Amino acid sequence: MEVDQQHPLVLPGDTIDPSLIPTHKKQPLRLGPGLRHIPPNAIIPTVAGQLIADHKKNSMWVEYNGGRYIPSPNDLVIGQIVRSAADLYYVNLTPYTSSATLPQLAFEGATKKTRPILAPGALIYARVTLANRHMDAELECVSGSTGKAEGLGPLTGGMAFDVSLGLARRLLMARSREEGGVEVLELLGGEGLAFETAVGRNGRVWVGSESTKTVIAVGRALRETDEGDLGVEQQRKLVKRLIREMR
Amino acid sequence: MTVSAAPEAALSVLPRADGSAKYSHAGYTITASVNGPIEAQRRDEHPYEAHVDVVVRPAAGVGGTRERHLESVLQSSLTQIILVKNFPRALIQIVLQIESTPGNDYVNTKLFQASLNFSIMPALFQTAVLALLSAAVPMRATATASVVAVVSQDKEKKLIVDPSAREIEAAQSVHVLAFTSHDELLLAESEGDFSVKEWDDVYETAKKICCQPESQKAGIEMVPDDDNARGPDMRQFLRSTLEEKVAADLHWK
Repeated sequence: MEVDQQHPLVLPGDTIDPSLIPTHKKQPLRLGPGLRHIPPNAIIPTVAGQLIADHKKNSMWVEYNGGRYIPSPNDLVIGQIVRSAADLYYVNLTPYTSSATLPQLAFEGATKKTRPILAPGALIYARVTLANRHMDAELECVSGSTGKAEGLGPLTGGMAFDVSLGLARRLLMARSREEGGVEVLELLGGEGLAFETAVGRNGRVWVGSESTKTVIAVGRALRETDEGDLGVEQQRKLVKRLIREMR
Repeated sequence: MTVSAAPEAALSVLPRADGSAKYSHAGYTITASVNGPIEAQRRDEHPYEAHVDVVVRPAAGVGGTRERHLESVLQSSLTQIILVKNFPRALIQIVLQIESTPGNDYVNTKLFQASLNFSIMPALFQTAVLALLSAAVPMRATATASVVAVVSQDKEKKLIVDPSAREIEAAQSVHVLAFTSHDELLLAESEGDFSVKEWDDVYETAKKICCQPESQKAGIEMVPDDDNARGPDMRQFLRSTLEEKVAADLHWK
């Protein structure tokens, strides 16, 4: 990583060089995670990381890794059902935090008569619809505009692995190989393993497959990539090793 | 004795905590873990802000009144820099484990525990700040702390930064000061007899250590007239530690 003039290291409370703040004639400036706006015109970082400014989208944020997941709207998350109430499921997103709520009718095609029955401990892939610091987060497993599941819903079989928030973010990038530098999943698929994954922004990755061996191998590959901060070249070596061990 | 050795720190040393730091300076080694925001117990819950819970664990044995006092001082100053209003009803838990304290051959530490409070405070404070940064807990500003002792030598008052236990023993007064990165005084605790003039001198010395401006670092190294009264540049230390951590976290960029 290059700590240069364009992407400086910021600490909480640092002043941001005004020349780095993107300006646009019409679009309002969008502030991402790690920044706060103090009216009228001060923008101050709240976490330590690298300041990124996107002039095209007129947005800026602080790139960092670590800490605990804090829900924000439109994030895709993997949650675990804690308990079921009259018309809600209580879902755990991170350990020791208060549960998020998932309405029982927020599934594709769910009605009062036909709705999925989820036991405590079941995993679900959901989108955060409401995240307000004064309230518990709200989730949904159906797109509000189309009424389709769009890949969301209960995750059956497989296994969930914990990864860092940074790796989850990289895996969720549209081009995770070019932008995020994670190639393990593509490489494992290229070696002929058949599996499916769901990545939650809250640092959980679910891996599903017919064969348990594959699930464990994929999970281990992800964990080792995360813990060892492996680059693309090292990921290739890791995948080769795992494949050799499987045979 | 390696009292004026440069501070050392490692971030994210504990794999299962949200954030952690290990810090050693002036003979103290402390490990801190931070978890949060997590669900607060009913009795700690505050409807508008997060509760900051500080736990100080001594190197040996269980904590007593001395640790409770340290905890309350740290808690009130850390609450000032954490954006507690962002996480109502939540809890931010900071556990500080003292691993080693500088040995003192002359003083029986068991009997003089109370006076040890002061010299450990900056180390505890600094470790807590580093662990909070590692846990990416939103903060208003960073902060740095230092301890200064006033010793009378040949009828002259002398300031000692990071004094040893022996020097604290002989000191007339001991002061702990912490400053935010906006050069605001965050914490001031004093013990012993001192005049307002002495306190002002202590304030200036501590401020020099905690809030060295950027321009001085870039320019020519200042000639230290008195090494003992100068001490390390804490703000630069904090920044370089975080720089390493961020570079490691964003290695894929």
